[in-house]
Amino acid sequence: MDVNIRIAGEAGQGVQTTGGLLVDALASVGVYVFSTQSYMSRVRGGLNSYDVRIADRELHSGAVRADVLVALTPEALEAFRPQVAGDGVILFDGEAGGDGVLALGFSSTAREISGSELLANTVAAGAVFALLGYDLDALCSMLEDRFHKKGEDLVRQNIDCARRGAELAAGAGVSLPAPALAGAPATVASGTEATGLAAATSGVGLVASYPMTPSTGVFTFLAGVADEYGILVEQAEDEIAAINMVCGATYAGVPAMTTTSGGGFALMAEGLSLAGMLELPAVIMLSQRPGPATGLPTRTGQEDLKFAVSAGHGEFPRAVFAPGSPEQCFELTRLAFETAHRWQTPVILMLDQFLADLQKNVPPMETDRRPIDRRVVTGSGADYARYAPADDGVSPRAVPGGDAIVVVDSDEHTEDGHITEDLDARVRLTDKRLRKADGLRSEVLPPEPYGEPGAGHVLVCWGSTRGPCREAVDILAASGESVSMLHFPQTWPIDAGAVRSGLSSAEKVTSVEGNARGQFASLLREAGALGQMECGLVTRYDGLPFTGEYIAGRIRG
Amino acid sequence: MSRTETAWCPGCGNFSILATLEKALDSAGVDRRGLVLVSGIGQAAKLPHYTRANVFNGLHGRALPAATGIKLANHDLHVVVTSGDGDMYGEGGNHFIHAVRRNIGVKAFVHNNQVYGLTKGQASPTSEPGFVTKIQTHGVATQPFNPLALAIVEDASFVARSFAGDPEHLEEMMVAALSHDGGFTLLDILQPCVSFNKVNTFKWYSDRVRPVGAAHDPFDRRAALELALTWGDEIPTGIIYRSERPSFESRLGVLDAGTLVGRCGG
Repeated sequence: MDVNIRIAGEAGQGVQTTGGLLVDALASVGVYVFSTQSYMSRVRGGLNSYDVRIADRELHSGAVRADVLVALTPEALEAFRPQVAGDGVILFDGEAGGDGVLALGFSSTAREISGSELLANTVAAGAVFALLGYDLDALCSMLEDRFHKKGEDLVRQNIDCARRGAELAAGAGVSLPAPALAGAPATVASGTEATGLAAATSGVGLVASYPMTPSTGVFTFLAGVADEYGILVEQAEDEIAAINMVCGATYAGVPAMTTTSGGGFALMAEGLSLAGMLELPAVIMLSQRPGPATGLPTRTGQEDLKFAVSAGHGEFPRAVFAPGSPEQCFELTRLAFETAHRWQTPVILMLDQFLADLQKNVPPMETDRRPIDRRVVTGSGADYARYAPADDGVSPRAVPGGDAIVVVDSDEHTEDGHITEDLDARVRLTDKRLRKADGLRSEVLPPEPYGEPGAGHVLVCWGSTRGPCREAVDILAASGESVSMLHFPQTWPIDAGAVRSGLSSAEKVTSVEGNARGQFASLLREAGALGQMECGLVTRYDGLPFTGEYIAGRIRG
Repeated sequence: MSRTETAWCPGCGNFSILATLEKALDSAGVDRRGLVLVSGIGQAAKLPHYTRANVFNGLHGRALPAATGIKLANHDLHVVVTSGDGDMYGEGGNHFIHAVRRNIGVKAFVHNNQVYGLTKGQASPTSEPGFVTKIQTHGVATQPFNPLALAIVEDASFVARSFAGDPEHLEEMMVAALSHDGGFTLLDILQPCVSFNKVNTFKWYSDRVRPVGAAHDPFDRRAALELALTWGDEIPTGIIYRSERPSFESRLGVLDAGTLVGRCGG
């Protein structure tokens, strides 16, 4: 059983505050939560919404319908009312809302208690808690945690607001069947937080970025923990500077990353190629939004896959990871740093707005700094050559400031790093660089199966589509359909053999992707991973995230 | 190609700059293992290959952000950018503005020959108005970029100009720049291009360069700006401007405990 609570209003009205408060408070009660955000590219006004879905089992996706709508403006009421379930409840911040609408006056209540409307969010949260019948103390202790630094008065006002909100809802005489407490982990993380925390604990030393939605959250998170973890966070003048700073810092031995979205990543393409040529362990977090050009700045999409695997002129190896949950963001961010240092080549970590912003219960994440092995050599002496021959293409990596003189050049170079036009050296060094691609392919993460083994119809997905696809498989299986899925947490390189064996029992394959043309299906086909098999598509490119219901509906036709 | 065989034209000002840099590094007592020469692309940008130092020869125009990343990663390193006017003032113009604004402790030695050499003779950001090339067929219609004035307006730590044709003065300026312990250091080096600049020749510069006298106080910002705006029959050379503004890296608390690379572990 699950309940979806949708909070909607203008930007700047506290939609996010209310949503965030409910997510934390509900998780602390012990139910499973899954939140998604949909917002406009503006600071004030417009129409934003925040969904908090709760259940007695782990959730992996948002929902289309709302069981509870908390409308903070008449516009929000009008826009979202059609999505409210037949037995749903509508709470409206006003004095009169019309048929089927509980006008509870959150703002006027907040003003009465605190003299300001700022705490209307807390009144609304209290009302939702009462509606669901959960212990209001959990919400109150969450308020205490949040506001104790700002003083006793504010804590008391918030608690009063929450209690009054609960009374208002109770007085209206409505309630909703709510999910049973399920002992869900009280820790909640977004893709953004998990990625940022993993970068910090992995020992990133320098983060150079230019702000761009939806990547800015990770940049901001790292700035927030920079003092604690000893990270230097620099806002570069542009994305070109950012990637070149990362190249400079990694050359000097410091694990470094940049965070960006499609347009900024496009500006980084030459720098990415530089990292390939200089064999630098640069890590780029690419959080996608719909394009082309500026596109839909605050919405979600998976349109940059083919660009990420091929960006940068010339030929050089790379790895592309695409986590499918906050837990995978944590694991794969660390793996991105390890892989970059193991193979001395750039690694791209692909998120998107949906994954960056979504929150769900996770087991507590390790917060201690455990730096990755940088694999730096020392004591190499005067005849050190940065690009010395190596079977696997990975030469011993020294950094400047020690015994070795370290020479790197974006021009083709000899083993000692110096510029050359010796065309035999060109072929030799190209082959050395590309040998690393074989190693990267041998270590590629296997696709993760879910659902009934041997099902005739296999859904293929990558990155953030993992969760919605899992729910789609569950929905379809519940109605007796033989469907399973394969999720790819790493989209490059592609191990065609592993994909073919994962699909060996499939009679039908459908790729589920947040783009119009099926970019991952195209990569699989190009790699020979689909053999002669046809691959259908379920695509979405309206800027909204997939949900389990959406995918199941499209599969059924 | 051996390390002594360069890709430069016979008679190029780069030879003098390289020979003088070798001397200046020794005079200033710079340990080559702790020195990183950073460059972008162009004929001047090849200089790091012809001496003994750590080298980061990166992308066209991107020497300064790479140098910034290196200096932030290990501020014990001596980071010297040696690249041309096209690289530093054209393709890398935005980074120049922001490197000076940050006041990062990087030394920029800009070989300024007022023309693009490697791409064979197009105008550079510092070309004179009316300078005719195969692209600017009716002559350059833009005003030259003034790197010294911009650096002074942005309160760079150290701003100087010298001339490749006066090795003694150049060495003095390089030693002063290398010895400067502070933020962003610009040494703009006027340099004849024997192949593509038939206007700003060795003689043209020789007739015009005038070392600033002892009376000039480089800490006087207005006087410095006045000198930076002087270009024509007389071109002032020497230490034009100095500032006490603390370097970027010295203002970052995260570096108080030592270099990033010294603490990264793993």
